[in-house]
Amino acid sequence: MLGNLHPLPKLALCLIWIGASVLVFDLRFQLVTLTLAFGLLWGLQRVALWKLLALMVPFALFGFGFLTTSVLFNAESGFALQMANEQALAAPDISPGLVLFTRALACGMVSALFALTTDPGGLVRALMVHLRLPAPVGFALMQAMHLVPDLAREMQVLRMARAMRLGRPMRRLPGPGEVMALTIPLLAFAIRRATRAALAMEARGLRPNAPRTQREILPFQTRDGLAFGMGVGVLAAVLWLV
Amino acid sequence: MSDVLACDGVAVRYPFAAADAVGPLTLRLARGDRVLLLGPSGCGKSTLLQALTGLIPAALPGARRGQLHLFGQPVESRSPADWAAQVAFLFQDADQTLAGFTLADELAFALENRALPPDDIAARVAQAMAQAGLHPDWMGRRIATLSGGQKQMVALTAVLAQGADLVVADEPTASLAPGAAKMMADLLLAPGKTVLIVDHRLGPVLDRIDRVVVLGRDGQTLAEGPPDKVFASHGADLAAQGIWTPLATRLRLALAAQGVSVPAVVQVADLVAHLPPHADLAPLLLPAACQSGTETLRLNRVDCAPPFGPVVLRNISLGLRAGEVLGILGPNGAGKSTLAACLAGLIPPRAGQRTGPPGAMAFQNADSHFAAETTRAECLAMGVPAADCAALLAGWGLDHVATQHPFSLSAGQKRRLALALLTATDRWPVLVLDEPTAGLDHAGTTRIAGHIRRLAGMGKTLAVITHDADFALSVCDRVIVLAEGRVQADGPARTVLRDTALLQRCGLAPPEAAPLLHWMDRTPC
Repeated sequence: MLGNLHPLPKLALCLIWIGASVLVFDLRFQLVTLTLAFGLLWGLQRVALWKLLALMVPFALFGFGFLTTSVLFNAESGFALQMANEQALAAPDISPGLVLFTRALACGMVSALFALTTDPGGLVRALMVHLRLPAPVGFALMQAMHLVPDLAREMQVLRMARAMRLGRPMRRLPGPGEVMALTIPLLAFAIRRATRAALAMEARGLRPNAPRTQREILPFQTRDGLAFGMGVGVLAAVLWLV
Repeated sequence: MSDVLACDGVAVRYPFAAADAVGPLTLRLARGDRVLLLGPSGCGKSTLLQALTGLIPAALPGARRGQLHLFGQPVESRSPADWAAQVAFLFQDADQTLAGFTLADELAFALENRALPPDDIAARVAQAMAQAGLHPDWMGRRIATLSGGQKQMVALTAVLAQGADLVVADEPTASLAPGAAKMMADLLLAPGKTVLIVDHRLGPVLDRIDRVVVLGRDGQTLAEGPPDKVFASHGADLAAQGIWTPLATRLRLALAAQGVSVPAVVQVADLVAHLPPHADLAPLLLPAACQSGTETLRLNRVDCAPPFGPVVLRNISLGLRAGEVLGILGPNGAGKSTLAACLAGLIPPRAGQRTGPPGAMAFQNADSHFAAETTRAECLAMGVPAADCAALLAGWGLDHVATQHPFSLSAGQKRRLALALLTATDRWPVLVLDEPTAGLDHAGTTRIAGHIRRLAGMGKTLAVITHDADFALSVCDRVIVLAEGRVQADGPARTVLRDTALLQRCGLAPPEAAPLLHWMDRTPC
């Protein structure tokens, strides 16, 4: 359902929520934001729980830094905690570390909500059509998105070749030494691939600043306006309640 | 009416190179000409194609001499991108040159760049997809989810959608299974189209081209004319330069060496009609019999999946013997490379059991094998004693590139170096080769085939993935056909490769030599 919404109003709404999450230093607001985004993904979009939890790992690690600093080293808690505590919409009775922790998770979950319900190609096309993102930049972004799975495939082949050379079975996940050894070959692969893609795009007529049309322009629909309005309305209501 | 393409004395030289990469040569294409550009690996075919729309020197470093005109205008009068409205370009490594995020994006890309109306673009995209037999549901499919062969099909379909007056295609069928290759050759080389194509695989294109232009090792024109005449009159010259010629031409020359004279025909069917009963075709088509030993490797009810990917092959059971060469055939995306990695023990099976010693795999992209600065250093890194390196490289015809960086070698040299490294020690009794002949000229392919049989004779267990049924017939003792997630056939190469119904059902095609096998069965020894 959320996947059918136009990516740009959805992006704007998510950015507004993230902005509010950054500005409002209140545990209740962060929890509501986190719960709402989680509920939409798990309940409405049927995203697997393990996937959501896995996606939150980097945000949790980031937030955990604030939490441990606040709890274990309260006296030495850093400038960030101090500033956060002095924000206009702060609720100072709650540990600032806990608020920062939930804020990291809330922002992460809203980001996941956007990423998991948006077609990346559609987003880039919408940016090119409605926000005048230059076509070469747009297609470079698409190439970057192609590059990720290609790099993963190349890395697997390089790892297999390395395992053969070293005469030992390939581990499921690469260790630090292996990552270091693979960095330069992968970088070289990425440069080679990007060069070929740029050449092919030029040969197929992509020019900077030249007029071009779009096969399909995703129109703004009433449901996009309604969804945007509803999102802003819920945000206003939550802010009023907290 | 002026020519579509006119090259007069065109030569291209790369920076710091002592000699031209290609040319000087003269070449003309009129509207409706379908021309095949042939030549040995490294003779400058791809370089010439890249110079045609000015990519060299505009986007790639290099200097061009001579006069080059497209549609009557000097090629340098427009940028390469401006020529895209009239010239569609298909690159050799199609899977790395796709621009869109989804299939529909890809097919529409060049048309959008021409600022065509959206309705027109949609109609052209739908028409091209229907022509190429791509299901409309594929329209929104992400490019990243396609296999290498499927990406090549998409790239070809995008060229068709472009509807350009001239199509320039660099090895368009190299990664395609035979069924798909034939269909795409039908579309690309339909009568009335103006096409300049480089392809080592003659089978799908030979009867669809009007003219063949052959470049020699020096990058200059060796022969030009209708295919029948060129292969009849220059067959021996082409063979001497390691250039692919039709099977009938190669056999005619080989039979001549046996003292058997047959007319200069290009089609195998025509050759069969002229074969005398005493002609000995077996050594020309089939591998020399090797004594296979005990079973060295077994997969027992194995499910295969790429790392972190879904299971693509289920319940695979097969065994390989020492001294046996197993051919693995299947349509694009059938899971051949995944099975290869499981056979080599590089990817553990998701279910079932693999028993046998660790194996080595020669990857499609040979670059993945190399980590040292010179060819010789690669040998040393593999544990070969310094005193033995020169002999090892000489044995694989690589002694003259011992001091070169492995990345600077030709495709054939890289494949040979990878095989040399994997067989330099006794570490791996099992070897799996993933498309070892893709993009190689005839000399390179023959050399690889010779090494495969030599290694089998030494008792190694080999598995070879290939789309080339004739190559499989010439090197493999046994063949399996993969399709729809399982093994569809497993048996002697000579038997499986003549099961036309099975092969067609799996998107494959019987070898060009199939009528000759029938002839051998009919003719008493």
